[in-house]
This record gives sequence, structure tokens and C-alpha cells, in this order.
Amino acid sequence: MIPDIGLIALIIAFGLSVYATLLSVNGGMSKRLEWVASARNAIVAVFALLTISVLSIVYSLNALDFSQAYVADVSSRAMSPFLRITALWGGQQGSVLFWAWLMAGFVAVVVIRKWDADRELMPYVMFVAMLTTTFFVGVVVFITNPFTKMWLVPGAQDLVIAIFPPLNGQQYIPADGSGLNPLLRHFGMIGHPPTTYLGFTGFVIPFSFAIAALMKNDTTSDQWIRTVRRWTLVAWIFLSIGLILGGRWAYDVLGWGGFWGWDPVENAMLMPWLTGTAFLHSVMMTEKRGMLKKWNILLIILTYSLSLFGTFITRTGVIGSVHAFSKTALGPAFLIFISITFLGAMVLLMMRWNSLKAEHELESLFSREAAFVLQNMLFLAITIAVLWGTVFPLITELFTETKITVGPPYFKKVTGPMFLALITLMGITPMLAWRKQTLNKLLSRLAVPLAGASITAIAWALLNPKSPAISLFSIAMVAFVTLSILAEFWRGARIRMSTRGENPFTAFIKLVINNRRRFGGYIIHLGVVMIALGFIGDAFYKQETQGTLSAGESLTIGEYSLRFDGLEGYMGSDGREIVEASTVLFKDGQQVKVLKPRRDYFVVQQQPVSIAGVYSTAGEDVYVLLVGWESISNQNTTFKIYVNPLINWVWIGGFVLALGVLIGTWSQARGRSEATYSLKNQPDEGAVVGTATAPGIGD
Amino acid sequence: MTEINPEPVDQTTPVEPSPNRIWSTTGRLAVVFLVVGLIALLAWGLVQAEKTPLEEGMAPDFTLTSFDGRTYTLSELRGNVVIINFWASWCPPCREEAAYLERTWRKYKDKGVIFIGVDYADAEKPALAYIDEFDITYFNGPDLGTRISQSYNIKGVPETYYVAKDGSLRGNHIGPLFEPELDNRIDELLSEPYTK
Repeated sequence: MIPDIGLIALIIAFGLSVYATLLSVNGGMSKRLEWVASARNAIVAVFALLTISVLSIVYSLNALDFSQAYVADVSSRAMSPFLRITALWGGQQGSVLFWAWLMAGFVAVVVIRKWDADRELMPYVMFVAMLTTTFFVGVVVFITNPFTKMWLVPGAQDLVIAIFPPLNGQQYIPADGSGLNPLLRHFGMIGHPPTTYLGFTGFVIPFSFAIAALMKNDTTSDQWIRTVRRWTLVAWIFLSIGLILGGRWAYDVLGWGGFWGWDPVENAMLMPWLTGTAFLHSVMMTEKRGMLKKWNILLIILTYSLSLFGTFITRTGVIGSVHAFSKTALGPAFLIFISITFLGAMVLLMMRWNSLKAEHELESLFSREAAFVLQNMLFLAITIAVLWGTVFPLITELFTETKITVGPPYFKKVTGPMFLALITLMGITPMLAWRKQTLNKLLSRLAVPLAGASITAIAWALLNPKSPAISLFSIAMVAFVTLSILAEFWRGARIRMSTRGENPFTAFIKLVINNRRRFGGYIIHLGVVMIALGFIGDAFYKQETQGTLSAGESLTIGEYSLRFDGLEGYMGSDGREIVEASTVLFKDGQQVKVLKPRRDYFVVQQQPVSIAGVYSTAGEDVYVLLVGWESISNQNTTFKIYVNPLINWVWIGGFVLALGVLIGTWSQARGRSEATYSLKNQPDEGAVVGTATAPGIGD
Repeated sequence: MTEINPEPVDQTTPVEPSPNRIWSTTGRLAVVFLVVGLIALLAWGLVQAEKTPLEEGMAPDFTLTSFDGRTYTLSELRGNVVIINFWASWCPPCREEAAYLERTWRKYKDKGVIFIGVDYADAEKPALAYIDEFDITYFNGPDLGTRISQSYNIKGVPETYYVAKDGSLRGNHIGPLFEPELDNRIDELLSEPYTK
């Protein structure tokens, strides 16, 4: 009954998606507002219907309705209600529906909220967004339908999976389901997949606006670019959080002591993040100076296409990865869709190329504009390097018939210096004015941060005598950026203190509150620097050792030693055999923590999962893995120990990043100078040409 | 929306093809080619990914050099039933079938049956330790460059392929083998007549 409601809602949602797509573009072209309004209502209805569909699956998953093939595939009696619900995105069928639902949600919010500001563009935005949404809803209905049942057909070897009974078919309802893939049975299941999906699907909004502007040839106005900046920020922060949570999950579950392995799917997620980040910066150039319009549209197209590319390689197994799902007919449909989207968008951009004129040219190399351009180039170069490394196995297989996978060393060597250059720029750019900056003034502002960076590097070298030069430079740059950002806070607060007589604390708080977008941005940068610190620790200071111990023996690494006390085996709650070691970690001879690294073996799925014992401090993690044992005894048990310095700064940086975005976007919710400013313009006057060029406005 | 713009819009003015413009046409074409190329690459990758393990037709020929330096070429083994087993020392399910495979090999080795173990993506030391551990005596060698695995489109290890006396492929088994499946398949294939 409940699944039937979900199925019917899904089918109606598909019909309404088609309706909204066709009506919006027709209404826009023939200027029939009532058609557009009807399409808008249909979009809201699509979201509501998909919500019903999603809820019905969540209900079935939790109620263990094994008459549903999807439920039998990803849910099981042994799983907790928490995991049963998260199983919505634990398998192919559910996750495509989840994706379509989120996308429809974004579109619905846009059509409700931004109805008036971009009225001219809206029908086209709706058309592009709904074309995409219709594709995904169509995939759910026709290719990966989550409402199928299993049927026994006399004579057939395998069960038939279908919605309606085949000839002579008899429904098969298993007593229990197979349950989620063991690697997904983790608390991280609530975080990484939904945030990643929100990030990926969220980029449909900027993409739709950009394509709508190109379709309408409305590229002289840049009102839409302001709307898009915020939506990009929303998608971007979800993608950022998704990336960090994914790293954390890999660190906890995959058991190789790291958080970023340059796996194709990690890369697939990193690439839209890189181009999205580039866009968030270059969009300021358009806002302030009317420059880089073509470039911005290109970045939006790339960001969205790369999101689709990421999803494509995740779902089809084109490039081997731990994330690949089983094969379905999804691949060809998805490929056609990506081709049309990417190629269509690029051709449209080419056609409008000449009408996208910049209003200003670059005036000086010592200007914020120049720094932004360089920064954008670096982001794009990193994206291309990552893309090349990701598709390299395909290229080699095509030309040499052997798959050659480039490993982390390639990515580290190629992207490392560019990331370092980006971080350096992050420290310099806030000190550069728009248009041009005199060298003397720049140097005087850089003096203190540079001095601080040098001192930090020297102190670091004394504390860690074996540091390679490049790591010292990296640390220096981290210190430089941190100091240059703090200097911005200090400068702003000092002005408030002297002009308004505020105390330092009030001055600081008010400074941030009154310039939320700018200082939110700086806080995001601080978060990024913290994450960079984690990567520096991982790249240069990681230690590992491995050893086989009998009870009472110890293994030493740096100032730590690990004593093995014993091994025991027992059955876990949800069909796993657990082998757990008791160990004690000592630091400089003092006991610091009892660690219990273990190996869980999921019997039904035949899959082992390593769960590390971790001692975690702000400075470093000690990460202990149980690698092997002879039998459940206290003899010959092998451990691997990693010391991961600075790793926790990745997670802390993630929090700071999210905080910065929260502060930065909050500013637009209430009236601020820029928002009221653009409202004063009648839509028909549109342009804000030249007026935003006065130096010192905002960021 | 109209734009208050002091300059006339570029596309309305007739322009002589300047070097700049020619470059931009070339640039645009290059971009389109790049995009099409990337899509074509993905399409090709998809076709590769959609391939399923081979089940019928002539078994792809290969020459394998064993860990102890002997060489076998599949096409030279006509008249024998050949069992090709893809495995790796790092693969837990392979361990489940290892003893059964070796037992079956010893049972059939004098009856016109040849076993070939193809070690997939492995290092020599653990592979030899694995062979030692299960006392494997049939022919075994590393699949250098994973060429053999690719020609059979294996999706993982262990996988086992059955080759009839005439060199044709007669199905496969994905995952570990358990008694008596291998015995049954070998008996079937042995009972087929063979003339050169």
C-alpha cells in the first residue's frame, strides 16, 4: 500500500516535470505569464510528490518490507533504524531518487524565492533546471525504479525484478534482506552522502541561470550573477563539508591511515569544488568591475559538468574505484545526458562569446584583479591536472591496451606546488586594492606577516630538524596567510576603536557583523589554512611502522610505544565476527590510552572492515591497525601504527570553513548596502556599470 | 533588458576578420574538439566497463610464463580440457577454493585436464607463499600487465573459465568454487568427443 502511493506519486511527478519543462520555456518565449505561473506551481508539486515518494521508501526501509526489491537489497533485520533510514542512499535505486528529490527541492526553492528579482530570466531558468530534473526523475521511473518487486518465474534461473508480475510470476518475499554494504554501516552515512549530493545537485541552480542568460542573450546585465553567487555558495559549502566528511569517513573505516588517497571518485568530487571555488572568487570581479563575464559562465558550466562527470564515473564503474556501484542501464542514458548538457552549454557559450564584453581591462599587475586572475588560472590548472590523472587509465588503455593508473605521487607532485601558490596568494590578495596598488604600500603591509612567517619557519625548523625545505616553506606560508588575515581583523578593529571609542572586543565583533561578507570570507580562508596544515602534516611528517608482537611485547614509533596485551574474538550484533586486540599506548614511558584496534568480518557479505584504535590530540593522531594474527591467541599478532601529525586541523578547519560561510551568507539575509543598492535600479535599467568600481567597497 | 552602454554592441558592427578573430575561431573549435574528445573517451570507457566476463566463443589465446620459468600457450593445448583460474594472494575468497582446486587437479591431472592459475595484480613473494601454503602443484604464473585478465574481461578474483578440448570457452564461474561443481564441469567436458 505505502509503496504503491510512493510509486504513483513518482509517476505523477515525472508527468508534471515534463509539463513544467515544456510550459516554462513556451511561456517565456510567448510571454504568457499564466503559463509560466502554472509551470512554477507544477515544480512545487513535483517536489511535494517526490517527497511522498522518498518518505514511502524510508517507511518501507524502516518497516523492513522485504516485498520491495530495494528494501531486500539494502536493509536487514540486523541493522539499526538509523542505518535502515540512511539506506535510502545506500544503493543505486534509492540514491538516484534521493538525488532527483534534492534537485527538485533546490528548483522549488528558487522558483518560490526569486520570483520577482529575475522575472525575465525565470522561465528559462525553470526550463533548464526542469529539463535536468526531468531526466533524473525519468531515470528513477524507467531505469532504476526503487519500487520493484521480486518474482519467481517457473523455468527461469534468477528472480525477475519488476514492478508488475511477469507471466506466471509468483511474488517472492525473502525472510531477511542482505543489508547495507559493511563499509557503509557507519555513523558517517548520515553526513557524507547527503552533503555531497546537496553540493552536486545544488550546482544545477547556477548552471540554469547561466544557460538561461545565454539563451536569452541577456548577458549585458549581471543581476543574475548576484543571485547565482549565493546559490553557488550554498552548493559549495555542502560540497566542501561533503569532502571533509568523506575524508573523515575514509580515515575511520578504510583503514589505511590517511584521509585523502586521490581515488578517482575523490578527484571527481574535488574537480567541481576547484572550479566552484574559482567561480566564487571571479564572480567578485564581475560584481565589482564588470570583468571576466565569459570566464564566469565557463566556470559555472565546468562546475556543473564536472559534478555530472563525477556522478557518472561513480555510478558506472568507468574508472575503477571503491565507490563504484553495480552496473545498470544507467550508464548509456547518463552519458547521453552529460554529452548534451556539456556540449550544448559550450556551444551556446561560443555563440554568445562576442556579446560578453568586459567593461574594464586589467590596469595593473599589482591589483586585486590581477591576483584574482592568477588565482583562477591556478584553480583551473589544478583541475586540468586532476582530470588528466583521473582519466589517464582510460587513455592508456585506449592506446596501449594496458591500464596504467597514476597514483598519489603524480597528484602530489603536480598539484602540490600549485596549491602552495594559491595559499600564498591568499595571504597577498587582501592587501591588494582594486585597480592598482603601489609596490611600496604593498610591501609595507606585507612586512609584518612576512616577518612572522620567517620566525615561524625558523622555530619549526629548530623543533623538527629533519624537515625538508619545501615543508618549511609551506609552514611559513601557512603562518603568513594566518597573520595577514589576522592583520585585516586588527586593522579594521583598530579603526573602530579609534573612531568610535569601542573596546577591542566590541570593535572586533561589530567589525565582523557589519562586514559579514568580507570577514566571513576571511574566516573561510582561515579554515582553508587549517586544512592545508593537515595536508602538510600528511605529506611531510607522517610516520608508520609495522611489527608482529606476542603478548607483553612492544612496538616503538617515535616517542610512542604500543604494548600488546591480548587478542579476543566474539560475535557482533549485526552478523559480524569481531577480532579485537587489547593494547596500551605509552608516550615517553607514560601510559596515555588503552587502544582496541579490531577487524570486523561481515560473514554474509564476506567483507572485512578494519577499525583502528586511535589516540587523538590537537597535535597528532596515533592510529593503530590490527593487520593480522595467526589464530585467536596471544602470539604473533601484527600491527601497523601510523603517527599522523596535524591531521586534526583538517576537521577543525572544516568547522571554521562552515562557520565562515554561515557568517558570510547571513549578511545577505538582512538589508545591506549592496542589496538595497541593486534594488534601487529598475529591472529595465539593469546595469550597475561603473558604479561599483569605487575602491574600498566591500571585499 | 536593455543596457545603457556607451559602446555599440560588438556583433552589430561588421568586422574584418582580424588575427584575433581567426584565433578565437580556432580556439572555439579546439574547445569543441576537446569536449567531444572527452565525451568520446567516456563513451569508450563505458563500453569497456559494460563488458561482461567472456562465456563463449573461442577462448582468447595467451602465453603464460610460470613462476618457475615454464611456458604454456593456450592454443597448443588442444585436446585437453583447460581450467583457467584467476586468483591473487590478497584475495580472501580465493583461499576458500584453493584447497578444492588443488585436490581436483590431482584427481584429473592424468586424464587430459590442464589447470592454469593466472595470478592477477600480485607481488611474487606473497604469491609464492600462497602457492606454498596450499601446496599448489598445477601451472601458475603472474599475469604481467593484466593482459590475460583483460582479454577475459574478469571483474574480480577468483574467477574460473572452462575451456573445451577444441579450445572453445564453455562458461565461467565468478567467485569461489565449491565441491562438486568443478568435478561436474570437468566430467562434462571430458565426455565430449574430440577429433583433430
